[in-house]
Amino acid sequence: MFSSSPAVHPDGSGRSVRIGVRLALIVLLGLLIGRLYQLQVRQHETLAAQADANRLRTIEIPAPRGLIFDRNGELLARNRPSYQLAIVPEELPDDDLDTEADEEYEAILQILESLGPNLDRNAVLDMQRNLHRSLGWLDYRRILVDNKVPFSVFEIPYREFVDLLIQIGVVEETTVASASIEEEAAAASMVSLPDLNQPLPVEGLAFLIQNLAQTRQQGNSSEPFPILTGLSREAAFTISEQSFRYPGSRILDVSVREYVYGELVSHILGFMGPIPSSLAETYRERGYRSPAELVGLSGVEAEYQDILRGTPGQRTVEADIFGRVGRTIDEVVPQPGQDIILTVDIQLQRVMYKVLQEMLTVQDAISGVAIAVDPRSGQLLGMVSLPSFDNNIFSEGLGETYTRIIEDERRPLINYAIGGLYPPGSTFKIVTASAGMAEDIITPRTVIVDDGPIYLPSKFFPDDPSQAQEFVSWNHHRGFNHGPLTLREAIAVSNDIYFYYVGGGYPQTFIGLTQEELAQWARVFGYGSATGIDLPGEVSFSVPDDQWKRVNWASSWVQGDSYNMAIGQGYLLATPLQVLQSLVPIANGGKLYQPQVALQITDPSTGRTQEFEPRPIRDVGLDRVTLDTIRLGMRDAVNSVEGTATRGQIEGVIVAGKTGTAEFCEYDPALEDCRRDEEGDLPTHASYLAFAPFNNPEIAVMVFVYDGGEGSTAAVPVGTAILDAWFTIKGQGSLETGAG
Amino acid sequence: MLFTSASRTAGVSRRGLALVHFDWWLLAASLSLAIFGIAMIFSATRGVVDPVIQNRWTAQIAFLVIGIVAFFMGALLDYRLLRLAGWPGYCFLLGVLVLVELFGTEQNLAVRWLSVGNTVVQPTEAGKFVLIVAVAWYLSRYYSEEKRLSVLFLALGALVPPLLLVYRQPDLGMVVTMLFIIGAMILISGVTAAHFLVLSSLALAVLFLAYGTLQDYMIDRINMFLAPDANREAVFNVTQALISVGNGGLFGRGWLEGTQSQLFYLRVRHTDFIFSVVAEEFGFVGSCALLLVFGFLLWRLVRTMELAEDAFGRLLVGGVAALILFQMFVNVGMNIRLMPVTGMTLPLVSSGGSSLVSTMFAIGLTQSVNLRRSVRVDTF
Repeated sequence: MFSSSPAVHPDGSGRSVRIGVRLALIVLLGLLIGRLYQLQVRQHETLAAQADANRLRTIEIPAPRGLIFDRNGELLARNRPSYQLAIVPEELPDDDLDTEADEEYEAILQILESLGPNLDRNAVLDMQRNLHRSLGWLDYRRILVDNKVPFSVFEIPYREFVDLLIQIGVVEETTVASASIEEEAAAASMVSLPDLNQPLPVEGLAFLIQNLAQTRQQGNSSEPFPILTGLSREAAFTISEQSFRYPGSRILDVSVREYVYGELVSHILGFMGPIPSSLAETYRERGYRSPAELVGLSGVEAEYQDILRGTPGQRTVEADIFGRVGRTIDEVVPQPGQDIILTVDIQLQRVMYKVLQEMLTVQDAISGVAIAVDPRSGQLLGMVSLPSFDNNIFSEGLGETYTRIIEDERRPLINYAIGGLYPPGSTFKIVTASAGMAEDIITPRTVIVDDGPIYLPSKFFPDDPSQAQEFVSWNHHRGFNHGPLTLREAIAVSNDIYFYYVGGGYPQTFIGLTQEELAQWARVFGYGSATGIDLPGEVSFSVPDDQWKRVNWASSWVQGDSYNMAIGQGYLLATPLQVLQSLVPIANGGKLYQPQVALQITDPSTGRTQEFEPRPIRDVGLDRVTLDTIRLGMRDAVNSVEGTATRGQIEGVIVAGKTGTAEFCEYDPALEDCRRDEEGDLPTHASYLAFAPFNNPEIAVMVFVYDGGEGSTAAVPVGTAILDAWFTIKGQGSLETGAG
Repeated sequence: MLFTSASRTAGVSRRGLALVHFDWWLLAASLSLAIFGIAMIFSATRGVVDPVIQNRWTAQIAFLVIGIVAFFMGALLDYRLLRLAGWPGYCFLLGVLVLVELFGTEQNLAVRWLSVGNTVVQPTEAGKFVLIVAVAWYLSRYYSEEKRLSVLFLALGALVPPLLLVYRQPDLGMVVTMLFIIGAMILISGVTAAHFLVLSSLALAVLFLAYGTLQDYMIDRINMFLAPDANREAVFNVTQALISVGNGGLFGRGWLEGTQSQLFYLRVRHTDFIFSVVAEEFGFVGSCALLLVFGFLLWRLVRTMELAEDAFGRLLVGGVAALILFQMFVNVGMNIRLMPVTGMTLPLVSSGGSSLVSTMFAIGLTQSVNLRRSVRVDTF
C-alpha cells in the first residue's frame, strides 16, 4: 500500500522519510487499537461491572409491618402514613468560596424558615432531639460552641448522668463510655449537658443540620435524612408545593406505628425507634441495610422485630453521578411482615389498668403492677405497669410529652412487672410451705403454736436473752396471737411464726428446712432466674443462700436469714411476674410454665398461621396432699372469716388467694438510713396473688402496689376487680359469640 | 531552490490552481470526523443543566460552517506567500508570549490567556500554527540543501525563548506538542544520522534537567499516569474514562445510551474525554473506525506532503500532519491510559470552536500545497 509516487522530491532523503512516516502512523494507530482491544474486548466484563456499580442503586422498599392483635382479634397496633421533612445533602448548594456567605448554611436556614408556623416550640424540640441523637451529645455541644450559638445547659453528677442515659435508652452505653466523658468526670464530677428542653435558636438548628449533612455527604449523599417527623398532612403539602424554591429539602411519606390503646398496653407492645448505635452491627448482620430504619426497641415490637418487619423489597434503579434516580431496572416486591396475635385480652387489660390506676391514686402510691395469666398454659392475659406512657409519642417526634415521660422520676418506660425487683413478702409462703411439705418438715396435721414473738438466741451469747433476736408475726402488732395452727390455717391467716419454724427451725425444739433446701425450692418455683417471657427487659435476682451471702455480704448464713426468707423478706428479691409464675404450679397441679405473650403469628398474604405452644418448664414435683393443703389455705384466706383476703370474694366463683405485705428499705440520704413512719416501721409493698375458679383455675393474678401499705387493703381489691371483670367478660363473650 | 521548484512546473501557471488535484477524500474525512464529533457532543452534553455547556453541539455546527469556509480560504491562499510570514511570525509569537508573561490572565493556576475585550484568548493555540510556518520557513530555507549542524542549533536556540515562556505559563502539554512538531519537521526535512544522534542526546539532557523544574501539577499528572491508584481524587476522571471505554464492549451501548456518559460519571465528556463517549456508545468497532478515519486523513496528508513540490510546502504539510497525529494520539492515549492527562482535545471531534476552525484552516492550507503542484498523480 506504500505509495510508489513518482513525484520528484527536492532533496534526496525522500524514501526513508516516506517509509518512516507511514510506519510511524501504522505503529501508533496499532498501539491505540491494541489497547482498545484489550479494554473493550478482553476487559469488557470487568469494566462493564464497574460501570454498573457506578450507576445501579438498590433502594429498599419497606415491607408493611405486621399488625398486632389481642387474643380476640382486637387490633392493637397498626400502620399509618406520616410525613417528614428531610434534607438531601447532595442537593444542598455548595459553599461558594468566593463569597463571604456560606451558601449551604443559608439554604438550610431557608428550609427551616419555609416551615413557617410549623416551626413551633415542639418542632424545634423534636428536631434538636433527633439531631442530638444523630450527632451524639459531644458533637452536638461542640458544634454549638464552635458556632457561638447560645444554648442552655444543665449540670448533673457524672454517675447520675450515665445511669439516666442508659436507663432511658436515648443514649447507648457505648456512647456514654467514651473516654472523653471519663476525662471530664475526672476533671469535675459534674457533667454539663445541653438542655434539650430549651429550644435552640433556628441558627443553632441550621448549624447542626449542616454538620450532619456534611457527615452524610461522605456516604450516600443522595439519601434524604429526616430532620422533622410527624408533620401534618396539610403542612406536608404546603411545604412540598414550595420545595422547588428550597433545594435540598424533601417531604418523605413514611409509615408510622399507631397504637390503638396507647398507654393501656404500651409496656407489652413496646415502641419503635431508629436502630440504636450500640446495636448497629448486630442489625447489619441480620440484613438491615439502613441504620435509620425504625425497629422495635421494647416490648413485643422488639421481641418479634424480624417477624413483624417482613422482608423489604428492592428496587434497582439507575442513578447519575449526583445521585439523581432515573430508570427502574429491576424490582423485587416486599414481603409484608407477619401479624401477631397476643395472648392478651384487651378488655381485661383495660380493667386492670383502670382499677390499678384508681388504687394508686387512693393509696398515693408511685407505681404498681397487675398481671394476669392463664395457669393452664402460662399465657399472659394482661399486664399493667404503672406509671405507663403513651407509646404513640415515639412514632411522632419527641416533643413535650416525650420530655415529660423521660423526665418522670417514676420512670414510666420501665415495665416493672418484669423489670422491677421487690421482696415478695408473704406471697413467698407458698414456696416455704411446699418445701416444708416436700422435705417432710411438716405434714398437713403439724401444729405450730403462735403464742407471741419468738426469740432466736444470739450465736455468741446463747445464754443472754437480752442479746436474742426477736421475730414477730404481723398479728402481734395488732395485739393478738394466732395460737395453734396447721399449715392450711397458717396460710389462711398468713401467720409468720409458723413459717419461721418451717423455714429455719428452732434451736433444740424444731428442725426446719436447711438454707440449701429453702433456696433450692425457691429455684424450683422459678425464683432466681428470669421467667423467659417473650418480652425484652426482664431482670432477675439470685436466690440468696449461704454461698451468695458469703460472696455479697462477706458473712455466713444465719438462722435469722432463713426466717426472713421464709416469709419472703430479707435478701430475697423477685419481679412481680416471677411471683405470679410461682403460683401457677399451685393453681394447675404442679406445672411451672414459661409465661408467654405471643399466641399465634399469621402471614397476611397466605393466611397461614403458626401457633406458639405453651412452654412448660418443669413439674415442681409436689404430691396431691401438699398441693391441696396449700390451695385450701389460699381458699380460706379469701373465704374464711379469719382470712387475710376476705375482700377477695366474688359472686359465683370461688377464689383462692394470698396476700403479701413486704417491708422494704428506701434509703433516705437525709436520714442516712431507711425511711420509716412515725412508729418506726418500715414502709411496705402491698401484693396479692390469686387464682380462680378454685376447682379448675383459668386465671391467676398478681397485684403489686409499691409502697401501698397492707396487701389486704391496697392489692386485694384490685385483684378482685380483675377477677370479677374476667368472669364478667367471659360470660358476655360467650353470649355474644354464642359459643361455649 | 525556492525558485527552481516553481520553474519546474509544467502545464499550470505559477500562481494558478490545479483544481483537479483537489483532495476530495481529505475533505470528506475531515467533514465526517467533524460531523461525527457534533453527534458525539450532542450525546455528551445531553441533559446538562449548565447553560454554557448545554448548547455546545449547535455552536459546533456553526463553527463547522466557519471551519469549512476557513478550509477553502486556506486552500485558496497560496501557501508560498506564507514564507514571507516565517520570520515575522516568529517575532510575533515571541512578542505575544512576552505579553502573556507580563499581562496574562490567570485561570486554574496557569497564566496562558490574554484578555481581549470581553473574552480571553490563548495565544499558543494559534501559536502552534505560527510555529509550523516559522519552522517550515527556516528549515526549508537554511537546512534542506546544506545539512549543517550549526543551522539546526541556531534554530533550536531561537526556539528556546518561546518554549521557555510557554513552559513558565505553565503549559507542559503545549511545550511537548511544540517539541513534537519541531522534531517531526526536522525529521521530515531529511536529517542526517549524525545530526539525529546529536539532537536526541541533547533532548535527553534537556528532559533530565527540565524534570527538576516541573510544576507540582505536572508531576501529579505524570505520577498519576505512572501510578494511577495513588490519588483517588485525581484519577477519578481517568478511571471513569477507562470504565466507559471498557463498558462499550465490542459494539457499544448505542448512541445516547452510554451509561457512563449519559449519567455523568464520565467528566469533561465533550472535550478531553469525548473519545471515551465514542468508545462507550459505539464499542470497539466504532472506536477503531474512528481511528481508521483519522489514519486515512493522516495518510492523505502524508501523500500531500510527499507530492509537494517544494521543501516549504512539504514541511508545512508535515507540520500540520504531525500536529494532528500528536493531538489525536495523546488524546486517545489519555482516554485509554496510555498517556498522561494533558487536557489535549481530539482534533475535529472535541467541542471547541477555535480548535475546529484552526484545524480546518490548517488542513485547507495543505490543500493549497496540493492545488499548486504541477504533476498529476493517480496514487491514492
